[in-house]
Amino acid sequence: MTRSTFTLSRRRLLAGAAGAALTTPMINRAWAADPVQINMLAWYGHAEPDIVAEFEAANNVKFVPKYYAGGDNMLGLIAQSPPGTYDLILSDAEFVQQLNMAGYIEEMDPSLYPFDDFWPEYQKFPGHWTDDQLWSVMVRFGLLGVSYNSDVMTREEAMSYNAFWNPKITGKLGHFDWHLPSLGQISLLNGNRDPSPFDISEDAWEAVMEKTLSLKPQVGGYFDYGGTFASLKNGEMLAMAGIGDWITGVLQKDGAPVASVIPEEGGIQWTESYSIGKGTTKHEIINKFINYMLSPEGQVKSIKMAAYPGLSPLKSGWKAIQEADPAEAKRSGLIEGDDQSPIKLLSEGRLFFRDIPRQQDLEDWNDFWSEYKTA
Amino acid sequence: MSKRFEAYPYVWRLPLLIWQGLFFVGPLILMVAMSFWLVRNYRMEPDFVLKNWDRMLGRDYFWNAYWVTLWRATLAGVLASLIAFPASYALAFRVSETTRRWAIFFLIVPFFTSYLVRVYAWQVLLAESGPINAVLGFGGLGPFTMLNSGFGAMVGYMTLVLPLVVILQTFSLAAIDRNLIEAAWNLGASPRETLFQVILPAARIGLILGATFAFILSFGDFVSPFYLGGSKPPTLSILIIDTTKSGQQWPRAAVVAIMMIATLFVAAFAAVGAAYGRRK
Amino acid sequence: MRPSDIAFRLYLVALFTFVFLPILTSMVFSLNSDRFPTVPLGEVTTHWYETAFSRPEVWTAFGNSLIVAVCAAALSTTLGFVTAYTDFRYGFRFKPAYLALALLPPTIPLVIMGLAMLAWLGRLGISGTLPGIIVAHTVMGAPFAMAICRLRLSQMDPALEAAAWNLGASQWRAMRAVVIPFCLPALISAYCLTAAVSFDEFIVAWFVSGLNKTVPVMILEILQGNVDPQINAIGTVVFLTSMALVIIAQLLILRKTNA
Repeated sequence: MTRSTFTLSRRRLLAGAAGAALTTPMINRAWAADPVQINMLAWYGHAEPDIVAEFEAANNVKFVPKYYAGGDNMLGLIAQSPPGTYDLILSDAEFVQQLNMAGYIEEMDPSLYPFDDFWPEYQKFPGHWTDDQLWSVMVRFGLLGVSYNSDVMTREEAMSYNAFWNPKITGKLGHFDWHLPSLGQISLLNGNRDPSPFDISEDAWEAVMEKTLSLKPQVGGYFDYGGTFASLKNGEMLAMAGIGDWITGVLQKDGAPVASVIPEEGGIQWTESYSIGKGTTKHEIINKFINYMLSPEGQVKSIKMAAYPGLSPLKSGWKAIQEADPAEAKRSGLIEGDDQSPIKLLSEGRLFFRDIPRQQDLEDWNDFWSEYKTA
Repeated sequence: MSKRFEAYPYVWRLPLLIWQGLFFVGPLILMVAMSFWLVRNYRMEPDFVLKNWDRMLGRDYFWNAYWVTLWRATLAGVLASLIAFPASYALAFRVSETTRRWAIFFLIVPFFTSYLVRVYAWQVLLAESGPINAVLGFGGLGPFTMLNSGFGAMVGYMTLVLPLVVILQTFSLAAIDRNLIEAAWNLGASPRETLFQVILPAARIGLILGATFAFILSFGDFVSPFYLGGSKPPTLSILIIDTTKSGQQWPRAAVVAIMMIATLFVAAFAAVGAAYGRRK
Repeated sequence: MRPSDIAFRLYLVALFTFVFLPILTSMVFSLNSDRFPTVPLGEVTTHWYETAFSRPEVWTAFGNSLIVAVCAAALSTTLGFVTAYTDFRYGFRFKPAYLALALLPPTIPLVIMGLAMLAWLGRLGISGTLPGIIVAHTVMGAPFAMAICRLRLSQMDPALEAAAWNLGASQWRAMRAVVIPFCLPALISAYCLTAAVSFDEFIVAWFVSGLNKTVPVMILEILQGNVDPQINAIGTVVFLTSMALVIIAQLLILRKTNA
C-alpha cells in the first residue's frame, strides 16, 4: 500500500511541478482529489501512520492533520479557520465545553458508540454530556505526576511534588509549557483536593501563585512537546513538571533512564476525546473511525501510539492489551487490581481530572503563567 | 517629452504600490486596528477599547520581555560585528581575489539551509552530553550547561546573522581605496591609527548596516530563544506566540507587535542616520 | 607569509567552522541510526530518508513548497525589477516614501508578518491556501529582488536606453531590446534567491498555511512534535535542492557575463 501511494504521489508531484511551471497557483486543487480527505485537528501523532494507516487503506480515506499543543491553542486554530474546516476534532476533555459553547462541534448520537464497554467511571465524563445530549466521546487518557531522571533521583524521592524543589535538580527542572498541568500539580501539593485542584478559592489561588514563584530558581526551561522529549533524553533536564508517562514512556522504550510516578498528593488525569466538527459532511466515515479507535484493535494502537502512549477507558481495551502485550499492560497498570491501575487510583481519590479553573478566569491563570516565565 | 498622459511610467510605478499596499500595508493597518478589538468567547469583535494596550503595557512580564529582547538584540549586534570584523578584514585585505570570492560564496551557502535544522543541530551539539562537552571533557573541562540559557540563544543568533554581517563588512572594507591606506602608512600612521582613523570611518556604512541587520534579525527571531534559550526568559516574539495561543488573544499580540515595530523603526532610522549622516 | 597572516587564516577557519558545524552535524545525524541524536554515534543508516520519503505527506509538502517557491519568485522578481527600474529612471514627489514601502518588509519580524498576514488573508478568504502563502512570500521576497536588480541597473549607462530612443525605438521596444537583456543575469539571480528564500521560510508559512503545509512547516512541526532525525534527512534534501538552484544560477550568470 505504501508503495502505491508513494509512486502515485511522485507522479502527482511531477504533475504539480509541471503545472507550477505555468505559474498557475490554483493547480494544486486538481491534485488533492481522489481518496476522501478527513481534516483532523489533534495533538501531535494522532494522524500518523501507526494509528491511521490501516484505516486509511481499508476505507480509501486520507487524514490531513493540523497539530496543536494545548487546548487554548486548539481553540485559537479553530477560530482562525472557516467553519467546516475540521471534520474531526480531538480535544482535551476540559475544552469540550468551550468547543460546545462556541458552537464548533455537533451533537453526537450515543447509540452509535459502545458506552456499555466503558469503565463506569468514564461513561459520563464531565463536560461531555449536557443532560442526555452527547458532545464528545473519550478515547484515551493518561496520568500526570512527577517525571524524573532515575539516575539522579529515586522513586521514593519523587513520591511528592516537593521533589521539584530538590537541590539535586536546581536549574534542571523543566516545565511543559502549559499552565494547567503545572499549576494543577502545585495546587495538589498545597492540599487543594476537595473538590478538585482546579476548583479553588481566591485565597488558595494566591497561595498557589506564591508557591509556584518559589519554584523559579529550580527551573531550567519551558518546553513544547518536542523540547520536553529532547531535554529529558539528553539529560539537559533532570525532572519535569506537568507531564507523565505520555513522555517518559516513549523515552523508556528508547532506553533513557527516566520514569514517572503518581506522588502521594495525587495525580492529574489528562483525557482526550473526539468531537465532530460543525459543518462537516462526512459523518458516516467519521463515526466509523471513532468506533474503530474504540475497538480493541484501535485501543491497542492508542495504548502503544508512537508519539505518546495513552491508557484505555474501555474494559475490552484492557483485555486486548493484556493479550497483545502483557508487559505493556503491566507497565501502564491496565490490569484490574494492579496498584498502578487508574481505576484503583480513582477509587482511592488520588486522581483528579484536569480541568479549567472553576473560580478564576482561564485568562488569570494564563496571565500568571506568563508572569512566572519572565519572573 | 510631450505633456499628454503617458502610460509607460505608471506601468513601472504602480505594481509595487498596489501589491505592497494590498498585502503589506493592509495587514499592518489591520493589525493596528485589531489592537483595539475585544475578545469574547474566543472570538474577536471589532471595537475601540484601550483595554489591550492597558493590559499589556501595564504588565511587568511585557516589560521584562521587552528589555530582555532589546538587550539581547543589542548584544547580538555588537558581538556579531566584533566577531565578524577580523574575518572581514582578512577577507578584504589579506587574501587573494579568488579566495575572497569563494569565501563569499561559502558565506551565502548557509542561507540555503534551513535555519530550523541548524538550530536543531546546535541543540544536539551544545547538550550537556553532546559532542562539544565531550571534547572539552578530554581537556578536563566542563561539562558546561550551554542549552536553555542566554548563551544558547546567542549561539543561535550568531548562526542566523554572522554570515550576513561578514558579507556586508567585507564588501565595505574591500571597497576602500587602497591608496588611502597607503597614504596613511606613508604619513607614518601606526596600524592602530590607520585602523581607527582611516579604515573604520571609510567602511562606516557597511559596519553600521551589518550591526543593524544583526540587531533587527535577532530582535525578531523566535527560534533561537525558544529552542536554544529554553524560553528562559521569553522574548517578545515568544510572547506574541504565547499570546495568540492563549485564548485567542490576538489583540494583545498585536499590541506587542506594534511595540516591536516601533522599536525597530527607531533603531533602523537611527542607524541610517548614523551611516549616511554627516560625513567628515 | 607574515605571522599575522597565519593568525588571520586561523581566525577565518574558526569562523567558517562555526558557520558550517551545524550544517555538517545535521548531515551526519541524518545518516545515524539513533532515534535521539547523542554521541557516540550509532550505525550508518538511510532509514530516516526512507521513512521520511515514503510518507506521501512529505511529497505533498515538497510539491507545495515547489509551487509556492516558483510562483512567489516569479512575482517577487517582476515586482522587484519594475520597482528598481522606477527608482533608476524616475524622480518624483514622495519617492523616499515609495522606496521605504519597497524596502521595509524585511525589517518586520517574521512572527509579526505571520500574525498580520493571517488576519488579513483570512479576511480576503485566502488564508490556509497556497495562493495565500505565495502572496506572503512575494511581499517578503520583492525587496531582495529589487536590491539585486537595482544594483545591476546602476551598472548600466543611462545613455544606452536614450540611444535606443534616438534610433527610433519606442520606450517599450528599448525596454525589451536593451534594458531587459542587460538585466537578465540579475533577473535570474533574483529569481533563484527569492525562490530559495521562499523555500526556506517557515514562520509566516506556519501561520498562513493551514492544512497545506510546506516543507519547512513540516520540519517545524516535527521539531515541535515527535523530534525525530527525519528532520535532518528532510533538511539535507532541502539544502541540496536549494544549493542546486544556486549553482545553476551561478553558472547561468557566468555564462552570460563571459559570453
